[in-house]
Amino acid sequence: MRYIKLPSENFEKFFKSLGEWGTMYAPVKRGSIYSFQEVHSPAEIALDYNRTMLPPKKFFFRPREAILRLKNGRWEEEVEAEPMVLFGLHSCDIHGLKILDKVYLDEPADPYYKSRREKTLIIGISCMPDEYCFCKSLGTHFAMDGFDLFLHELPDGWLVRIGSVRGHEIAWENGELFEEVTDEDLANFKEFEEKRAKAFQKELPQEGLADMLDLAYNSPVWKKYADICLACGNCNMVCPTCRCYEVCDRWMDAYKAVRERRYDSCFMENHGLVAGGHNFRPTRLDRFRHRYYCKSYFDPSAGYNCVGCGRCDEFCPAKIEHVKVLEEVRGSLK
Amino acid sequence: MSENPYMTYNARILEVKDLTSREKLFTLRFLDPEVGANFNFKPGQFVIVDIRGFGEFPISICSSPTRKGYLQLCIRKVGRMTKFIHKMKEGDIIGIRGPYGNGFPMEEMEGSNLILVAGGLGMAPLRSVLWYAIDTGKYENVWLLYGTKAYEDILFRDEIIHLLKHGEAMNCSVKLAYEVESPSCIYLERGFSDRVCKGVVTDLFRGEEFDVNNTYALICGPPVMYKFVIRELLDRKLSPGRIYMTLERRMRCGIGKCGHCIVGTSTSIKYVCKDGPVFTYWDALSTRGLI
Ligand SMILES: Cc1cc2nc3c(=O)[nH]c(=O)nc-3n(C[C@H](O)[C@H](O)[C@H](O)COP(=O)(O)OP(=O)(O)OC[C@H]3O[C@@H](n4cnc5c(N)ncnc54)[C@H](O)[C@@H]3O)c2cc1C
Ligand code: SF4
Ligand code: SF4
Ligand code: FES
Repeated sequence: MRYIKLPSENFEKFFKSLGEWGTMYAPVKRGSIYSFQEVHSPAEIALDYNRTMLPPKKFFFRPREAILRLKNGRWEEEVEAEPMVLFGLHSCDIHGLKILDKVYLDEPADPYYKSRREKTLIIGISCMPDEYCFCKSLGTHFAMDGFDLFLHELPDGWLVRIGSVRGHEIAWENGELFEEVTDEDLANFKEFEEKRAKAFQKELPQEGLADMLDLAYNSPVWKKYADICLACGNCNMVCPTCRCYEVCDRWMDAYKAVRERRYDSCFMENHGLVAGGHNFRPTRLDRFRHRYYCKSYFDPSAGYNCVGCGRCDEFCPAKIEHVKVLEEVRGSLK
Repeated sequence: MSENPYMTYNARILEVKDLTSREKLFTLRFLDPEVGANFNFKPGQFVIVDIRGFGEFPISICSSPTRKGYLQLCIRKVGRMTKFIHKMKEGDIIGIRGPYGNGFPMEEMEGSNLILVAGGLGMAPLRSVLWYAIDTGKYENVWLLYGTKAYEDILFRDEIIHLLKHGEAMNCSVKLAYEVESPSCIYLERGFSDRVCKGVVTDLFRGEEFDVNNTYALICGPPVMYKFVIRELLDRKLSPGRIYMTLERRMRCGIGKCGHCIVGTSTSIKYVCKDGPVFTYWDALSTRGLI
């Protein structure tokens, strides 16, 4: 890793130079929530945001998009991707993208996701946890890769970690904006990270978690929560690692149709429905449990399917808390 | 060729044949001979059928890779899209992508006995195995145990009756169980009293012994069938690793993206479309919800 320093007074120039790469998106405040939106000046950005409602997955795997277009009986593909800069991603969201990469870049790669991913610059930013965050428990509170540049807040600027060749190029081309990192900066960086580590309020112990959840398949706790759950699917929509989709063909006129995909949710009754009306997850309990199992699956090469961002808790209308459910299920094992 | 895995290849319907009142057999050929030549598949794999502007659905390949130049799909009319394809005629064009899934391990099983256990529409993927085994002659004996509702529901009836009569010469013995009595069934039962009976597919195991060290079982049928058939096989001491079954789940993409076919729990997530649809009984023991 190469480390450089961006002094506060150069931030605006740095921001402008990034804008030359492509359309810039960053967290902005909309009412009481944050969301990634197109921005044109640093003043629009909420640098100290906690989490956006929709995670950055929306830029790569869109809520709704055409995958093929039918014209006069022939499919045409449109793998268009505009260069983008995603500015201000938190570490958990960078990990979320890495989990999506596992799925969408795995052969055969999804061409839409892939081309957008390739044309996007990822600029990470440090953060302080709030009451919903539990990324530290999952090891996703710090990103070692998956970004081009990562900015860590210092009292008088930013400590910048360079995570890719593209990141190097940007630093190279804007050499005059950066300074060498001093001992004082390192001390500040260290202090910030230590303070941050102590700020986590929520914890999800990992020891034997996957096995204990599996063993507690028949736990009454699943039912307790499935009974409160509204099956609205919000938790799926806002999760940076949920990526189920449904496909549908739609006619535009007599000659043109599109094949569209859109976010799907495993809370929907027809998610596991097959021909003849057989449903592999017929009850809300089955579907509730399925989501928790899917999120808690541990892939030896990619970790859990949850990055601890806390979105599902913050945006659950039934106030169901992810960590609490898992802890109670585990606790219900006699 | 397109790099886009969602793009389908044009295939012409060469023939449409009624198998029963609900199932039709579609014989297809790719329009582009190069695509056809590159389309290699294994018994047990499936394709995604694309009816442009109406949608896509997964269907097992029911012809054998030993029979080149065409592809056969046996499609039951159950809903919107299958109804649509049932209206299509010879000469019509549809799209195909695939083949997908892992298929049965035909090479690993060479030299062994195969017991194919089919229930209803489960006959479709197993027909590919059946003809592959007969055509290659690389397997010791092939038994087909086929459970069907009624005489009218027997898929590939001509082939099944042909094998009842002449299968011996091809090291293939067929046994048939039917649930609803009819004059045709009784006539069949009279002709092949040792091989045709009223009952369900597990009844066909009665009196059967086989060399467990040299036999594989391949199962496909409705979800309820698996547990009962597996019990019969385990009772005869067949190893779980020699029991293969092919499963159905809702599928959209067929390539591990859309998430619909995911099964399992925190210790064992599997995609039926790419880790399966063929699984062994070991997989079922370690993956909750597989069967
Ligand atoms: C691996 C595999 C192999 C199959 N092989 C065969 C076969 O050889 N012959 C055969 O007749 N059928 C087979 N099926 C089932 C076949 O895919 C469904 O019958 C078909 O999708 C129903 O579509 P529909 O629009 O007519 O039905 P509808 O009931 O109208 O379906 C409603 C919706 O659910 C979807 N759907 C229903 N069942 C399934 C399913 N199993 N997988 C994905 N989507 C589904 C449909 O796409 C549709 O959008 C197979 C399924 C799988 C997963
Ligand atoms: S957001 Fe909450 S209420 Fe809605 S489906 Fe998820 S757990 Fe249930
Ligand atoms: S499950 Fe909840 S906490 Fe975990 S990544 Fe998804 S939204 Fe974030
Ligand atoms: S069918 Fe889409 S993931 Fe298996």
